[in-house]
Amino acid sequence: MTAAALSAGTFGLKAWSKTTASAPVTRVPTICNGCGNRCALFVSVKNKRIWKVEGNPDANGNQGAVCPKGHGYLHDLYNPNRIRSPLKRVNGKFEPVTWEQAYKEIAQKVNLILLDNGPESIFWVNYPQPNQAYALRLMHSMSSPHYFTHGSTCYTARNAGWNFTVGKLPSNDLANSRFIMIVGRNPAGGIDLGEVKGIVKAKEKGAKLVVIDPRHSETAILADEWVPVKPGTDLALLLAMINVMVEEKLYDRNFVANSTVGFQQLEDEIINYPPQWAEKICDIPAQTIIRLTREIAREKPQALIHRGYHGAFGAQYLNSFQTARAIAIANALLGNINRKGGIYFSESAEFGELQPAHPVPPGPSVGKADGTGIPGRYPLGSYGDGISHAIPELALRGVLKCGFVYHHNPLRTNPNPKRVIAGYKKLELLVAIDPVLSETASIAHYVLPASFYLEADEAVDNKHSGKRAQVTIQQKVVDPLFDTRSGFQIIVDLAKHLGVGKYFNFSLDEANELRLKPFGADLKDLKAKGLLEVGLPWTEGFEKLETPSGKVEIASSTLENLGYPAIPRWEAPLVSPDEKDAHSFRLLHGKQAIHTHAMTANQPYLMQVSHRYDLIRLWMNRARAERLGIKNGDLVELKSFIGEGRIRVKVTEGLHPSCVWLPSGYGIFSKRLTTAYDHGLSYNDFLPTLFDPSVGHAMASEVIVSVRKV
Amino acid sequence: MARYGMVIDETKCVGCHACRVACQNQNNLHENDAFNFLVEKESGTFPNFSRGFLPAQCQHCDKPPCVSVCPTGASRKRSDGVVIVKEKDCIGCKYCIAACPYNARIITKNGSVDKCRFCIELVESGGTPACVTTCMTGVRIFGDLDDPASDIAQFIAKNRRNLRVLKGELRTGPAVFYRKA
Repeated sequence: MTAAALSAGTFGLKAWSKTTASAPVTRVPTICNGCGNRCALFVSVKNKRIWKVEGNPDANGNQGAVCPKGHGYLHDLYNPNRIRSPLKRVNGKFEPVTWEQAYKEIAQKVNLILLDNGPESIFWVNYPQPNQAYALRLMHSMSSPHYFTHGSTCYTARNAGWNFTVGKLPSNDLANSRFIMIVGRNPAGGIDLGEVKGIVKAKEKGAKLVVIDPRHSETAILADEWVPVKPGTDLALLLAMINVMVEEKLYDRNFVANSTVGFQQLEDEIINYPPQWAEKICDIPAQTIIRLTREIAREKPQALIHRGYHGAFGAQYLNSFQTARAIAIANALLGNINRKGGIYFSESAEFGELQPAHPVPPGPSVGKADGTGIPGRYPLGSYGDGISHAIPELALRGVLKCGFVYHHNPLRTNPNPKRVIAGYKKLELLVAIDPVLSETASIAHYVLPASFYLEADEAVDNKHSGKRAQVTIQQKVVDPLFDTRSGFQIIVDLAKHLGVGKYFNFSLDEANELRLKPFGADLKDLKAKGLLEVGLPWTEGFEKLETPSGKVEIASSTLENLGYPAIPRWEAPLVSPDEKDAHSFRLLHGKQAIHTHAMTANQPYLMQVSHRYDLIRLWMNRARAERLGIKNGDLVELKSFIGEGRIRVKVTEGLHPSCVWLPSGYGIFSKRLTTAYDHGLSYNDFLPTLFDPSVGHAMASEVIVSVRKV
Repeated sequence: MARYGMVIDETKCVGCHACRVACQNQNNLHENDAFNFLVEKESGTFPNFSRGFLPAQCQHCDKPPCVSVCPTGASRKRSDGVVIVKEKDCIGCKYCIAACPYNARIITKNGSVDKCRFCIELVESGGTPACVTTCMTGVRIFGDLDDPASDIAQFIAKNRRNLRVLKGELRTGPAVFYRKA
């Protein structure tokens, strides 16, 4: 680290802005790292200090816009809580060490663990980054099957529902739709800039937007109609809508006849779910269900039910897999699969391989210990994502002994923190790769300081899928302020020290060039522009889907053979609030536009919005609050059978009476995150460790809390 | 000479605060200082309920009360309509803060009085105010009210009946027009 770099990073905003009014500005194209969308940005630098960002208007994902996190998170470059060198925990305290010492000691310990326990005792878990393919390669180089993402706490039920119905996860052609129904997803709060832009475009052309959500979400603000559903019962609504489509013959007959299998079985079974049945379960009047179904069918195939994300059926309820299946089938009945204005398979850049220039790693010889993809365990689970919230359980059972946690903070973002802490503490070696001492990094044996995204070149990225695939690239905008390294570099360094360097014998540029090769795209061109369009434009329709039948599987024989219903069936949520107990509520959670997971609450520009607008409150329905004598702003105690905490209440008419809603992103308990520490609560404090019996997801809304005024 | 103004579409704001943080970066503001702010409004009873946000900032009035009370002339209205504060002439008396009916003025961390200036430096170099370009729903339209070809003039011509100004009864003549919710 040079003295100049340090002074540029630490001298104050005021002094800097005085001296830089007329300083020349450089503008570097790169991608954001404020959430998983990795929006394409231009970053302006004045006097070696980051000034501001602007959205790349050509990017599919953000179309010129930037969300509050995109503006606020860049200031974390200068956060005083950042780690300045590798750290080693000695007698409970962190001591700075050199990279060389950290790598050597980590390698020695890993080798001992390998000798005693084999490669399957080692894991890597990350929130996906552009370099995720290299993390997977590192695990495969060591013959470990244990690469995990956060997916089991986020989206694996949704993905499984779509995979078993149309073969893969599709996108929504919102901008060209005439009728958009969104169930639980909130792109204006859990921000997806491109989706919100699409909704606005569609509405300007006269489309109708209906939002089904227990809470009047930020997306509901844009909606023509907000339909509050009883949480956990979206499946009943969907089954009843399918019932109406079938009974009134509102479906696309040609599409059903030519492109689906199992419609007859659906006809036989769906008679069990008329709107009058659903009304009693989901709290939506039968007449509303019938009307909405007729309205959406009138606009088919330029009509869609949003494919979903986390909200409502990503990883929320026991019935989430069936809900995702029902949504996929309802869309198919509208004949909108891979159609303009419907559900479509977006074009995504399929990167080139590193082989034959570089040898293929051996890969694992055993399955994942979490049971994903294994009949009798979690056959519908995602092998690629794994069940990451099972890691603490597998560590407590002694199956996993050594872990690398990168760009992820399971101690705060996984359910049941006491259990997660116990599990991760049981590991013989825990290495955290993080720019700050998050909760997880705080208990690691070694912490490797990752460069901030504005300080490092990275692997090429294919996140911006759409009507035409795009590749983007994270680029170094300023020199690293401290003794940090990029995620890519750390993976390569670890490989070399762990004796598998032969699989990583390439520079970042060489690897990026190999990845770009299939498109004939030039790395220099990409670096100059920040974004390139590649491949062919999207076309409507399909010949053959990636399902066993090649068609939309309304009835799935694969599921039937595994012992699951071939057609979606009603399944009640695992737990429900006690209607006779005025204190009993389902605990829901969701994102606010200013925060991502547990990683932005430490950013003063974003946290100041939370404080100034009093956003760190628990939402409660007014009538329920009145029964408990709770007024707006009152402090309440929240209790589940695994945890308790206190928080102030926002009393509102905009929430279903059966639940309370907690914004996510708060409840930080690492004292080393000085801005975030001890503000608000996390839903994970109340959520027990649960595994959906088919997919293995976290069932993150299957939790009942008792609320009392204090 | 241009006459700058803005349209704010009340029906489109979802309360994300991107405009606030974009503005803070553009104008090098401390995290506690903001030139634009949101007012949340809820109405109705469950389940017939709606809510929305009213984005507010300096209204760049035609007859700005902040300018008429300023004893030193630090607060002034430019010929293009933009109301500015000249920092070196400001003695910090705060009359302008009391006089502004929109509570649009703040005392910054640096101790000076400041407020939205339509990102005029950016506009003069061919750009668009940061709060406009960042917005995912396109809440704001900025431009020259006197240029009939501008987006803002065309929007106003088409939507005249659905527009309002804040506190019109005060006859301050805001250059910010709101499309009614």
